[in-house]
Amino acid sequence: MPQSPDPSNVGWLYQEHHGWVRAWLHKKLGNSSDAAELAHDVFVRLLSKPKAFNSEGHARAYLSAISRHVCVDFWRRQRVERAWLEVLASRPEHCMPSEEHRAMVLEALQQVQAMLERLPPNVAEAFMLAQLQGMSYQAIAAHLGVSPRTVTHYMSKAMFQCLLLEAELDEALS
Amino acid sequence: MPAPTPDHQTLQEAADWFARLSSEPHDLAQQHAWQQWLAQSDSHRQAWRYVERVSQRFAPLQGDIDTASQTLQALHHTPSSRRQVLRTLSVISGGLLLGGLAWRHDALTEQLLAWQAGYRTGTGDILERTLADGSRIWLNSATALDLDLGPSQRSLRLYAGEVLIATGPDPRPFVVHTAQGNLTPLGTRFSVRERAARTQLNVYEGAVQVRCSATHHTRVAKAGERLSFDQQSVSASEPALAGREAWSKGVLLAEDMSLSQFIEELAAYRRGHLGVDPEVAHLRVMGTFPLRDTDQALAMLAGVLPIRVEQTFPGWTTVKPR
Repeated sequence: MPQSPDPSNVGWLYQEHHGWVRAWLHKKLGNSSDAAELAHDVFVRLLSKPKAFNSEGHARAYLSAISRHVCVDFWRRQRVERAWLEVLASRPEHCMPSEEHRAMVLEALQQVQAMLERLPPNVAEAFMLAQLQGMSYQAIAAHLGVSPRTVTHYMSKAMFQCLLLEAELDEALS
Repeated sequence: MPAPTPDHQTLQEAADWFARLSSEPHDLAQQHAWQQWLAQSDSHRQAWRYVERVSQRFAPLQGDIDTASQTLQALHHTPSSRRQVLRTLSVISGGLLLGGLAWRHDALTEQLLAWQAGYRTGTGDILERTLADGSRIWLNSATALDLDLGPSQRSLRLYAGEVLIATGPDPRPFVVHTAQGNLTPLGTRFSVRERAARTQLNVYEGAVQVRCSATHHTRVAKAGERLSFDQQSVSASEPALAGREAWSKGVLLAEDMSLSQFIEELAAYRRGHLGVDPEVAHLRVMGTFPLRDTDQALAMLAGVLPIRVEQTFPGWTTVKPR
């Protein structure tokens, strides 16, 4: 029986499904407080884009998919944070940035990492050198030992993948 | 109503425009063609908004580029990035799995070394270093080089950008290598810049011997001279540009320079596109301008010339008639 795409419906879905979503996340993460927080995220995502499900199985499949996404994001966030803290700790002028700065930089790092991890290594490196370090194509070409034409090709390839990601994000929010 | 999501073909076109525009930021004909493409449809403009959004995702990291680069680099080489391992494995034939992994490890180690190689500056940065032999080097904006102070020779390999060198007294010869050839200074101060497949040399003190890599053609440039060379031949020498040395102090010294030339120099210190309208390109510029704050330099310029600085969108600045 089809349900109407009504945000209030999420309340009902929450009642029905929150239990197993949370248990599934707990099993994946091995930590109940992270699982509780991520289970909450799953339903927040559902709330941002309410969906009509035509069966119990359909709802379950959809919620499993969101739960997996939430997990992937969580792991990435953790990896990014750990790597960032290690780099900061290795600095001689070891100083801890403010909480605000930390949140902003980590968010940006995790977004950029989400884009870069979709790309083959050389393409990701070229894209990072251009976008982050502002290196010219010629400098990148010399650095990677490829022709400037190849760098142009890499950049187009990298940007296309990033645009697909932006389009997905837009679709998810619209 | 929000614009509809552009289709894959439009996204691919936007990505191609991005790659070409950033490859040739000064190509006016190309910019014109890009603007026509933008004007064609809502979905083209929407795709370009995505391009801007992608670029903006890097913006919060600009405050500390080194930390951000190192973090991403570490993540990039972490085996827990399973997708990447799988992708790499998929190009290695199945039967050679162990060999493939070993190969991957070596390739990554090499790449990691190259990435971390020597000295590097980002766009807009100028770096000064005193070396163990007493020599001093200044790296101009967007420069990458490697340095090797060996027991019998001191060598510097310039990959990109510009370096100013004041050699210290040391019995070991000092050699600078570029893609076009090598330069051997004789107790001196000089700058080397690699640009458009040529090496440009300005000698301020002493003398420098130049040698082309393909023809082994050699020439000596003395103090006060400037020349350029490619792999084949060396240009005739001209008087050195004294003002060119000013960048090592963070200053752009304009001595009756055209606005187009000025903007081209300044653009090297700035992320994104910086262009000039042909209508004002011929104006003459005099004075000293800060290189570490290009916004300020542009504001100063707008104070003395009949121009205005227009920011079409983040990362795209044009100097136009007032």
